[in-house]
Amino acid sequence: MDIIQILQDSYHVMIKDMIEFKRNRFEVAGLIAFPLIFLLLFGFIFPSGNTHENVQMGLVNLDQGAGSNEFITQMETMNKQLATTKNSSYMSFNNYSSVDAAKTAINKGTINGAFVIPPGFSSNVTSGQPGNVIVIVDNSNPTVAGTIEQVSSSTIGGLNGISANTNVLKLGSEANQQINPQAIIAPYVQNIETTIPGESNYFNFLAPGLIVMIGMMYIMNGVPETISKEKEKGTFDGMLSAPIHHISIILGKTMGLTIRGVVQCLFVLIFAVLLFGVTVQGNLLLVFFMIILGIFSFIGIGIMAVSLAEDQATAAMIMDFIMFPMIFLAGVIFPVQQMPWFMQDISKVIPLTYAGDAMRKIMLLNANVADVSTDIIILLAFGVITMLIALPLFRRGMKD
Amino acid sequence: MTENAIEMENLTKKFGDFTAVDKLSLNIKKGKIFGFLGPNGAGKSTTIRMLCTLSNPTSGSAKIAGYDLIKDPSKVRENIGLVAEKMIMYDTLTAAENLRFFGKLYRIPKQKLEDRIDEMLELVNMQEWKHTQIDKFSTGMKQRINVIRALLPEPEIIFMDEPTLGLDPQTTYSIRDITREINRSGVTVILTTHAMIEAEVLSDRVAIIDHGKIAALDTPQNLKKLIAESDVSIFGAEITNLTPKLIEKINSLDVVDAVAQQDDHNLKISANGTEALNQIIDIIRHEDGNIASITKSNETTLEDVFLAVTGKEIRDQATGKAASTPHMDGEAPKSRIR
Repeated sequence: MDIIQILQDSYHVMIKDMIEFKRNRFEVAGLIAFPLIFLLLFGFIFPSGNTHENVQMGLVNLDQGAGSNEFITQMETMNKQLATTKNSSYMSFNNYSSVDAAKTAINKGTINGAFVIPPGFSSNVTSGQPGNVIVIVDNSNPTVAGTIEQVSSSTIGGLNGISANTNVLKLGSEANQQINPQAIIAPYVQNIETTIPGESNYFNFLAPGLIVMIGMMYIMNGVPETISKEKEKGTFDGMLSAPIHHISIILGKTMGLTIRGVVQCLFVLIFAVLLFGVTVQGNLLLVFFMIILGIFSFIGIGIMAVSLAEDQATAAMIMDFIMFPMIFLAGVIFPVQQMPWFMQDISKVIPLTYAGDAMRKIMLLNANVADVSTDIIILLAFGVITMLIALPLFRRGMKD
Repeated sequence: MTENAIEMENLTKKFGDFTAVDKLSLNIKKGKIFGFLGPNGAGKSTTIRMLCTLSNPTSGSAKIAGYDLIKDPSKVRENIGLVAEKMIMYDTLTAAENLRFFGKLYRIPKQKLEDRIDEMLELVNMQEWKHTQIDKFSTGMKQRINVIRALLPEPEIIFMDEPTLGLDPQTTYSIRDITREINRSGVTVILTTHAMIEAEVLSDRVAIIDHGKIAALDTPQNLKKLIAESDVSIFGAEITNLTPKLIEKINSLDVVDAVAQQDDHNLKISANGTEALNQIIDIIRHEDGNIASITKSNETTLEDVFLAVTGKEIRDQATGKAASTPHMDGEAPKSRIR
C-alpha cells in the first residue's frame, strides 16, 4: 500500500473526527476544564512549603515556678517569630490544669498535642540539671503528630539556643573574655541554595509532570473511546468496508487525538504559569517537543487495550488498570524518592516517569536535549515497541 | 468478466462450536436482485459480513465482482456498497459531510464527488436537507441517506441488510422504489429481509436460509409453485379458545410439519398428506378447541413456503418444531455481537 495514500486516508479520518469533536460541546469544555480542575485539586491538597497555622496546643504547667514561667514566655515570643503573617501564629496555646485533662482534649480533638512542664522544672534548671519538657502527641494522626514533633523540637532547640547564648555570655563576662556565643554554640551553619531561582513550591514540582500526565490520560482514555464508539454504533463497518488500509483508520484517529492532547497539555502549561506562578526556565520548543513525544509513547498502549477488549467498558477497565499505577508511581504527584525500593523499581518501567522527569528538567532546570537524551531514547523506544505490538493486534481485532 | 456478480464456494463461518454459515455454495447473477430470507440467527447477516470483507470465513471461498475475497479484499471493497443493519452515519455530521467523508475514502475526485452528492440527494428527494445534521433526521430520512451513502462510489454490487427494518410503511415503499431504481441502473442487489412481501416483490431469486444452510433456492414464483404442487398444505385455523397446550398437541401430529401462531386466535399449520385436515380437526375437537373457521388458501404466499421449508414462521412467535433448537430464539453467541 502506498504510504501517501495511507496518510491521505488517515487525514480524512482525522478531519472527520475533528468535526465530530467540535460539535460536541461537552468534549470541548472538558478539554479546558479538566486540566484546570486537576491543577486546582493537586495544588491545594499538597500545600507548598511549611505553612502550618494555628496548631492547637495544650499547655500544662505543673511547676508554676520562675523557670517554667520564663520558658513559657520565651516560647510565646518564638511562636510569634515563626508566624507567617502578622495576625496568625504558629501555635495557639490552651491551658490545662492536669495531664489527664490535656489528654482528654486531645482525644476530643480540641487540641493536636500538649506541652507538659513537670513539677520541679524550675528547681532542676536552677540547680543545673536538665529541665525536662514532655510533649504529648496525637499519634492517631501521624501527619499532625509529625508536624508537632518538628514544631516542638524546633521550639525547644530555639529555646536552648537562647539560654545557651545567655549562659555563654555570662560565663564570658565572668572570665572577662570577649566571646561570640554563636561560634561556641553552633559553629557549623548550613546555607541552602537552589538550582531554580525563586522560592521552591509544590506547583513547580507538580506542573511539568502533570502536563504529560494529563496528556497521557487524554490519549489512553481517548483511543479506546473513539474506536469503541464507532464499533458500537456500527459506523466502523463503513470505514472497514471502504477500500482503505486499516492502518489509516487508527492513524487518523490517533492524529486527531494527539492534536487535542497537545492542546490540552498547553492549557495545563498556560494555567500553571498564569494562575499558579510556575516559571518556565527552559526552551519552550523543547517543552513542546517533550509533550508530543510523551503523548506518542502512550498511543501504543491505548491501541493495545482497544484491540484486546470486546467493548468500551472492558477497554476502559484495562486502561484504568494500567493508568492508576502510572499516576501514582511515576513520581508526578509524589516524589519517587519517597517510595519503598520495590515501588521505585516499578516506577522505572513506567514511561510517564521519564516523560515527567524530562519535562521537569527542561522546564525548571533549563536542561538541553543532551541532558534529557536518556529520557528521550527511552520514551521513543517505548512508543515504537508498543506501537509495533499494537498495530498487528489492531488489524487482527478488526475482523470477527 | 464472469456472468456472476458473486460466487460462493463452501463458504463457512464458525463462532466457537456454533456454525453460523455452513458450507454455503451459491452463484448470484449480475444485475439481479437476490434475496436472503431466514429467521433470526439463520446466518444471513454473517454471510453478508463475510462477503463485505468484514468477517473472515472459517473456510471456503468466494468471488465478489470477480475478485477473490481472501486474496484481494481491497479490490472487493472498491466494488461493493454496504447498507448494514446499523446505519453507517455520524450523527453530529451533516448529510453532506457524511457523504463527503465516505466519498473521499473511495477516492472520488473532488468535483465529481460534489456532483455525485447532489445527484444522489436528488434521487431520494432530500436536497434541502443537505446541510442539516443527521441527528435532526427521522429514521426514514436517515435510512435514505444511509442508502445513498452506499451508492456514492457507484459500486457494482450493493448489500442491503434488513434495509426496511423499523421503518414506517411510507419510507419502506420509498426504499423499495429506490432499490428497484438502483437495480435498473445495472447494480446487483443482495438483500436480506425479514419481510416476506419484500423478498417477494423485490427479488428475482430468493434463498431461504436456515441453520446456515440453504433450505430452498428459486424465483419467488417457482418456490410458491413448489408448495402448490407438493402434497404440503397450509391451513389457517381460527380457534376462539386457543391455548399453548392445544398448539403443542397439533404440532405433535405426524402429518403436521409446523405450527405458527399469528395472533390470539389464529394459527397457520403446515401439513402433508390427504388425511391431514381431518386429523387436525379431530385433535382440536378432542382437546375441546372451539373452531371458528378453517381456511385453505388456493394462492400460496412466500410465507407459506417459508413455513413449510423451515418449519417456522418468520416472525418471532414461531412455535414450529424446529424452533425448539435453543440457538434459534436465544441470544446470538457473544462473539457475534458487534
